[in-house]
Formats: sequence, structure tokens, C-alpha cells
Amino acid sequence: MLLNGVRKAAIARNNVADKNDTEYSMTVSLRESVQLVSDPRNLDASVEEVFRLMLGVNCRRESSAPEPEAESVTAVVGFGGLLSGACVFRSGARAALRIAARMTGMEFASLDDTVKDAIGEIGNMLAGAWKGKVPDLAANCGLSVPAVITGRDYNLHVQAPEFQLHHIYRFEDAYFEVTIVCDGLQ
Amino acid sequence: MHEIRTLIVDDSSVMRKIVERSLRQAGLDPLVVHEAGSGTEGLDVLRTESVDLILSDINMPSMDGLEFLRQIRAQNLAPGVPVVMITTESSEEHVKQAILSGARGYIRKPFTAEQVKERVLPLLNAKAA
Repeated sequence: MLLNGVRKAAIARNNVADKNDTEYSMTVSLRESVQLVSDPRNLDASVEEVFRLMLGVNCRRESSAPEPEAESVTAVVGFGGLLSGACVFRSGARAALRIAARMTGMEFASLDDTVKDAIGEIGNMLAGAWKGKVPDLAANCGLSVPAVITGRDYNLHVQAPEFQLHHIYRFEDAYFEVTIVCDGLQ
Repeated sequence: MHEIRTLIVDDSSVMRKIVERSLRQAGLDPLVVHEAGSGTEGLDVLRTESVDLILSDINMPSMDGLEFLRQIRAQNLAPGVPVVMITTESSEEHVKQAILSGARGYIRKPFTAEQVKERVLPLLNAKAA
């Protein structure tokens, strides 16, 4: 439900942005470059770039994460246009507080509005950096504004995606997950 | 020294603070910062405040950065004031749209303070000349 709303917002935004470029958009297809679009190295490079430039930390990809914390935060940024889907950032509360502190130079004790705002921006930058790795995607795929969810014991499900990338990363002792879900490719 | 009056428009308060911090790290001092959470709020600020520089996000709810830019020009607010777009959108097409709408510069998120300095200082120096 949430993914549908975020995705519709991204599609609407992309339609407005590209209203003068309909002819060009109709001639571009990502089907032929699906290997490039779904290259997992693009996601790793995007995460590394965003965290290095905005937080001043180096991230390392991990094969597994420790037991999830009960309280977590998720940022969802929808893609619309030639590719539809979403970029989903998820972390436990401790990592989210650490990320927000690094971004703002402030300390936080709980997942307040500033922390959620910071995590939403991380999701936004990850989505933008990831789609920017493929020129046709950068030009023909819009982003929604981020939706941020906090709570305990919830999961996000997408049925039968075209492809999905799910990576776990770590900086210092903070773990987080980034998922790219593509459920439509033109 | 003449103070540098800046308007930062972004729906994220965290990003507004990061942009402000980058401007200070770029050596803009003394700096007066006005903040707005949307294009609509940004227009309201420009109706009452005089600024030397505008930095705006593009991807915002209600009024996005490109429409904000068009409205600044259409309403003749802040004439001659350079506008720099700061956004996650990085394709040549997006840059072209921003420039055609009247932007004088473009900074892609994520960014460094050095990149902000490189884009902003020449515009302020040109305005002051």
C-alpha cells in the first residue's frame, strides 16, 4: 500500500517533468540495459558515495546483520517513469541515531522528527545516486519525496518484482540495509 | 564587512542545516540565513526580505524547486539574485530544465562543502562586481 502511494507520486512527478520530452521518452527502453540497471556494484558505489560525502564515513558491505532491533526506521523513495519501484533504506534505531548525529553534528536520544528527516534524506540521496549511475535512468525516472516509517516488528513485501537488490552495510558498529525493488521496466 | 543574506529552500530541515554549514565552511561570513520548507514559503520570504543568494532543492511537495524558480522570475522577486539548485536529480536534462528556468548553478546531492564553495563564490563575486 505504502509502496504504491510512493510509486504513484514518483510517476506523477516524472510525468510532469517530462511532459515536453514525450517523444524522446518513448524511444528509450531500459529493457536492453537491464544488466546495467541491476548491477549490484551500482548500489555499493551509491552507498559508499552518499555516506562518505554526507557523513564522512566509509561503509563496508556485509553478508549478514546482527539480530534486528525491535525498533527500526525505514525510508522509502519511489521510482516512476521508465523504471517503477522503490529504494528502501532500513536500519535499527541505534544506527539511525548515529547517522542523524553524523549528518547534523547533534546528539539524539530517540527517533524524533529530525532523525526521521535525516533518514528520509539518506533514502533520497541513495535513490538519486543509484539512478544516476545509468544515464537513461537518470534522465527518465523520477523520484518521490521520501516516506519514513518507524515502529516495531514490521516487514515490507513486494510481490514478483522484475529484480531486487538487497544489501547489508556497516560503518563502525552500525548496520543498515538498502533494497532496490523494481516492479516495472519499460 | 557586508553580510551575505541567503535563502535556503528545502523541505528537509536537516538538509537546510547541512547547506548552511557548508556555506559557513566555504567562508561566507558574516552569513544571514533565511529558511523555507517549500517553494511557497520561499516566495513569502522573498516578498519581505532582500537576499544575495538563493539555494533551492528541486524535489519538494506542493511547489517544487523549478516552479519556485519560475515564480520568482514571473513575480519579479529578487531580480539579479543568483539561484543555485541543490538536488539529487543529476541528468543533463534536469540541469537543462533548471538553467532554462533561470538557475545560475546546480549542485548534486550528496555534495561537499568544497563543491558548494566552487559553485557559490563565483556567483557572489560576479554579483558584487
